Amino acid sequence: MTLVKTLAMRGLTLFGALIAVLVLAVVVLGATGFSDNLLNAIVSEELRGLRQSLAQNFRDPVELENVISLRREELRVFYGLDTPWYFRLPAMVLRVLTLDLGEARTLRSFAGSNRVIDLVLERLPNTILLLTSATVITSIIGLYVGVKLATQVGSKAERGSSYLSAFSYALPAWWMGVLMIIVFAFQFRLLPSGGMFSAPPPEGPLARFLDVLWHAILPVTTLVIVSVGSWIFTVRTMVLNTSQEDFVTVARAKGIPENKVMNRHIIRVAAPPIVTFLILGFAGSLGGAILTETVFAWPGMGRLFYDAILTGEESVIIALTFMFTLIYVIARFILEVLYVLLDPRVRY
Amino acid sequence: MSTSNRDLAKEFLSTGSGKLGTALFIMLLAISVFVIATYPLDFGTRIWSNPKVWEDNPKAVPPIWINAFDDFARAEHRVFVLTEPSSARVLGGGMELIYSFGFDYTADEFPSFLSFTINEVRYFQDPPFVTLSMVRPDNTEVIIYRELVTGPRQDEVLPIIRYKDSPKRVNLGGASLVETNVARFLEDILMRDVSTREVEGKIEEILLGSIAAGEQLESLEVLKGEYLMRVRFVTFDQRDSTEGVKFVLGGSVFGLMGTDIIGRDLMVGLLYGFPVALGIGIITAVLTTTIGTIGGIVSGYVGGKTDTALQRTSDILSNIPLLPLLIFLIFILGPRLWLVVVVLIIFGWPGLTIIVRSMVLQLRSGQSVEAARALGASRSRIMSKHLFPQIAPFIFAQMVFTVPGAILAEAGLSFLGLGDPSIPTWGQLLQSGFTSGAVYIGLWWWVLPPGLLIVLTAMIFVFLALGVEPVINPKLRRVA
Repeated sequence: MTLVKTLAMRGLTLFGALIAVLVLAVVVLGATGFSDNLLNAIVSEELRGLRQSLAQNFRDPVELENVISLRREELRVFYGLDTPWYFRLPAMVLRVLTLDLGEARTLRSFAGSNRVIDLVLERLPNTILLLTSATVITSIIGLYVGVKLATQVGSKAERGSSYLSAFSYALPAWWMGVLMIIVFAFQFRLLPSGGMFSAPPPEGPLARFLDVLWHAILPVTTLVIVSVGSWIFTVRTMVLNTSQEDFVTVARAKGIPENKVMNRHIIRVAAPPIVTFLILGFAGSLGGAILTETVFAWPGMGRLFYDAILTGEESVIIALTFMFTLIYVIARFILEVLYVLLDPRVRY
Repeated sequence: MSTSNRDLAKEFLSTGSGKLGTALFIMLLAISVFVIATYPLDFGTRIWSNPKVWEDNPKAVPPIWINAFDDFARAEHRVFVLTEPSSARVLGGGMELIYSFGFDYTADEFPSFLSFTINEVRYFQDPPFVTLSMVRPDNTEVIIYRELVTGPRQDEVLPIIRYKDSPKRVNLGGASLVETNVARFLEDILMRDVSTREVEGKIEEILLGSIAAGEQLESLEVLKGEYLMRVRFVTFDQRDSTEGVKFVLGGSVFGLMGTDIIGRDLMVGLLYGFPVALGIGIITAVLTTTIGTIGGIVSGYVGGKTDTALQRTSDILSNIPLLPLLIFLIFILGPRLWLVVVVLIIFGWPGLTIIVRSMVLQLRSGQSVEAARALGASRSRIMSKHLFPQIAPFIFAQMVFTVPGAILAEAGLSFLGLGDPSIPTWGQLLQSGFTSGAVYIGLWWWVLPPGLLIVLTAMIFVFLALGVEPVINPKLRRVA
């Protein structure tokens, strides 16, 4: 019962965060007149089309104007422009919540669709691909090195790890990316500077896969470099903290071999907070993906965000703000569930 | 209290990261103070974003010191500003003013451009006549340029003033009059007809190249040695005056940090970034921790509905991914720096509130708080005099740690092109370098230094925080 209640509570908070972002977005759009401008632009666009098609049938310009202004009123009512923005607010929130994200003006999906949801869904796997591979590699290195360092308390490498973590925290992934491009793509011409496929993309699934891999080396390496330092430090600290607990001393006193103490007593107990950090790291890197993908022209949601800023595509920007929050919230919820499963103490 | 604070400070400075962090922080502060004292307030709009200011600088060239790594001597950028004539004499009814100067040309390549600027001229009768000529190391003389100052309009009052607000600037490589003059100069040396078509686009090469009779104009060598320049003003009234001239030998290296694609001196922009980054970081950190601490103490000590409301709000706010929302808000509300700071504060305080509350919950049942309450101390007195001092060192560490986050967030936002255009930052320097393709054509001096400075500044604060940590958390001392 308590388990369900804990999860429900967390779920509710996360949903609250999602709604808060949406309401904030809608209020900002409404209060700044952005929403009105947006809808007015849609109305005038439709009216221009109408005027062109009607111009052949109507001789009398006065009559034409009458029809147009009639239609304008209809459209204004349809889009809710006859009422102040705050009355349109609930409907707008609901529309976005049901993933009805509208249409883009100039941006198109690779398949040519201008529906924002198509654009976003097409980019989503690319972002997930980039972030998960980076997170997996980072966590493997971090776990291996972190545990190793924890067994060598006081060594130079162990003490240096805090500096490494500081450096890691201060190093923005996007600037690291710029560096990598200058060194490996420009100076040595070893790797492609950006994109996901060569132009033209190679034939055959295997060749395409290798091509993606080839293009992913630089961005993934960049992401690993900027996050692995703090990861190693986190794992080290967690393992160290656990190894100072009494039950570990007892285990050692019983004469259990050191590697068994490490595996059975220390790592198993330190696992839940480590998993927490892993997923938090993944969720945190979502926002950072906007910058990393921009640098490497990686066709994910982040790069789409950047393109939308450059072209001033309001509907895409709103949709992406929502999508990023949604994915973040989902990742956080998965974390909560995992945490409960991994650590029995949470339940009681 | 004061001795214990001094002890804490001593302990802080005894750590390696504390020492390093403090030394570098003082350096940051010193540079910022220097910039604030010497830069004008409207630097961003009036100087940095004004292409006219940077007109006479070479575009997208590396810093001077790269000459040290290479045998090839790149042309340095040289500017000659002359305000006082070197000689003046009466000539007819007017004056002859001569500005003369020389330079020793030693570079292995030609200058990237030559420009000549005439500053304010005042005259009373006929407009003065200006001639720019050059004596080359091989003792040949070229008349490069002639200019008759624009004549008076009808009913214009005396003295007539010209080129006051916008000095007359001539790019010598692209002026047709210069082409004609240079072609005539070549005719004398080569003893053949030379068309202006032949010298087009080669003005710099011909003026500073070694030319002997019959030589091809395709592959000229640099003529190294002493050049003598002469600017001659001939006026028709003795009261006429000038504010001088300027002559620029465009280089292919410039300053300590090079220039960007519109010729801006990157050193100037990088320096300006110091107080801005420090300001963003410190203002955000101080306000975030202040609000977060007050929220946490009130929530933990007052309890009840206040607590629930504050905790729910914090929970929700701290579960929002910051960067996408920040981008959204800045895109809609406009790129203004103060807005970025405000948003960072709004979404920054809840995290601290949650931690401070849990600390206060432990402390509120402590003996000192109980005793104070028994003595009849008011709520606000207990919170400010009994609870706050106990958590103050921790708060301080948190504050230091918030600074790099704010700096990095602003830099990221600027990099996406959402930086405040009136206040140039390191992130914006990087962004302009990235969008104009500097990364892909290897203009490293444009993108490396601003990034390095961002990393360095952020790291200084992380070091400070690392130095503070063992001081406030003695448990860590055993481990580290």
